[in-house]
Amino acid sequence: MDSTTAWGSASILVGGLGTLAIFSFLIRENPFYRFFEHLFIGIAAGLGPMLVIRDFLWPNVLEPILGGNVTAFPDGTVSEPYQPLYLLYLVPMAFGCLYYCIYSRRYSWLAKVVIGFTLGASGALAIRGFFGEVIPQIVGSFKPLVVMGEGGIMIADSINNGIFVVTLLLVLNYFFFTFGREGAIQGRIAPLGRPLLMVCFGAFFGSTVMARLALLVERVQFILVDWAGALRSVLGLG
Amino acid sequence: MRRLIYLAMILAVAVPLLLGASRSPSRLVSAERMYDVVDTLDAKPGEVALVWLDFGPGTLAENEPQAQVLLEHLFRRRIPVVLLSQYQQAEAALQRIPKEVAERLEAELPGERWSYGDAWVNGGFRPGQSIFIQALVNAPDVSKFLGRDVNGMPITHYPRFAAIGGVEHVKLVGEVTGLVGVFDNIIQFFQKGGYRPTVVHGCTSITIPEAYIFLDSGQLKGLLEGIAGAAWYSEVLKRHYPKSDNSRLLAVNTALSSAHVVLIGLIILGNVVALWQRARRRDG
Repeated sequence: MDSTTAWGSASILVGGLGTLAIFSFLIRENPFYRFFEHLFIGIAAGLGPMLVIRDFLWPNVLEPILGGNVTAFPDGTVSEPYQPLYLLYLVPMAFGCLYYCIYSRRYSWLAKVVIGFTLGASGALAIRGFFGEVIPQIVGSFKPLVVMGEGGIMIADSINNGIFVVTLLLVLNYFFFTFGREGAIQGRIAPLGRPLLMVCFGAFFGSTVMARLALLVERVQFILVDWAGALRSVLGLG
Repeated sequence: MRRLIYLAMILAVAVPLLLGASRSPSRLVSAERMYDVVDTLDAKPGEVALVWLDFGPGTLAENEPQAQVLLEHLFRRRIPVVLLSQYQQAEAALQRIPKEVAERLEAELPGERWSYGDAWVNGGFRPGQSIFIQALVNAPDVSKFLGRDVNGMPITHYPRFAAIGGVEHVKLVGEVTGLVGVFDNIIQFFQKGGYRPTVVHGCTSITIPEAYIFLDSGQLKGLLEGIAGAAWYSEVLKRHYPKSDNSRLLAVNTALSSAHVVLIGLIILGNVVALWQRARRRDG
């Protein structure tokens, strides 16, 4: 077994142990489960900062500032001249670091400047994003109730659009709280949105169950095929 | 009783997998639409597909098969792919999945090559989400903006990715994720002036109801719905490329169907027992 195969098998064996440890919670809480739960949390927490530093901070910020992206050749020439303008990156970095002033009673107001800036920028982004996302959906909700095709009226599409429009109006009306619901018309129409919402929640719940089962299938397949295969290989059984 | 239910569910999944049961998946129109979009994509030399793999181990079960079929199709069509991620835990998937797809295709078609730097480049995890996407779409040259790949090599070093140019040369944006909000970033911000690229999406079963809104409004041109979507896409691929091997995916999809049948049976059984107990209490 070469080193790559051995490393692959070891990863699969540890992965299988981790899976069985987490599944053991289905029987009862136990130290085996606890150990792997903490291991997963630790890995996830450590991986994030490491990847931000490796894939973003170092190559895009620190390396250009320090001139690490400039290669010096033996003949004295360089791959690219050092750009002092990269030093301007230090300004937003220093501004961002003010967030840590939140831990100081005296200077915590500096953190509020950063938070205010972030909130303002996020708000502006959210407004822009809203128009980019929702306007096409509003336009898309204007559907013809009678869909005409080459051979005349397309009955199935027309029924679909009809259901869509009725559902849209009833659910919108359900959340219309400006006027009371005591009137004869509104009192009868408003509750109709509720069962339609229930259908929607049912679809959400059903799809959630489906997703969880998909995870189970993948893990069971991993245990039965990959893990069992690696175990057999390590034990010399196959 | 609870443990018996767990056991029933595990057996429902394990037995079809052990028996090697495999059934043809149901037809899904949204997945077929996505196939047609990729199949008819008119990418000229220098133009690329940008595929975001925004998933980690938590949704690997559904998102990995989706990424596989999408990349397989793009590779078969020789459309260069730039891989990126907004999610740090996608690191392993970004490295492994394209490599596995390329190896499978090379085994299927001896003499043909799909190599790193030619068929795809891995731009890695990029923090910043919506801010990064806005900067990307406004960059005069996507290759120069992305800078280096995960190996530290400038993306301009690879001839097929050397001069992508502006975002107008990104012909397709593929987004595979199970995370809420991540896909919205693409829909909201991946546009420049009047240009919106063709967007296709692979979602987990949980996010299907939300993704359907985008499909209905035309913001999405194709959708892979969980494992079932990937299974049907692989089936359509197999019809066009008969040597394509989708046996593992079909086995998973069959096991999933088996679990659904058992689950529905348990729900019916639970309700019948509850009604029976209520009747007994009422009678005395």
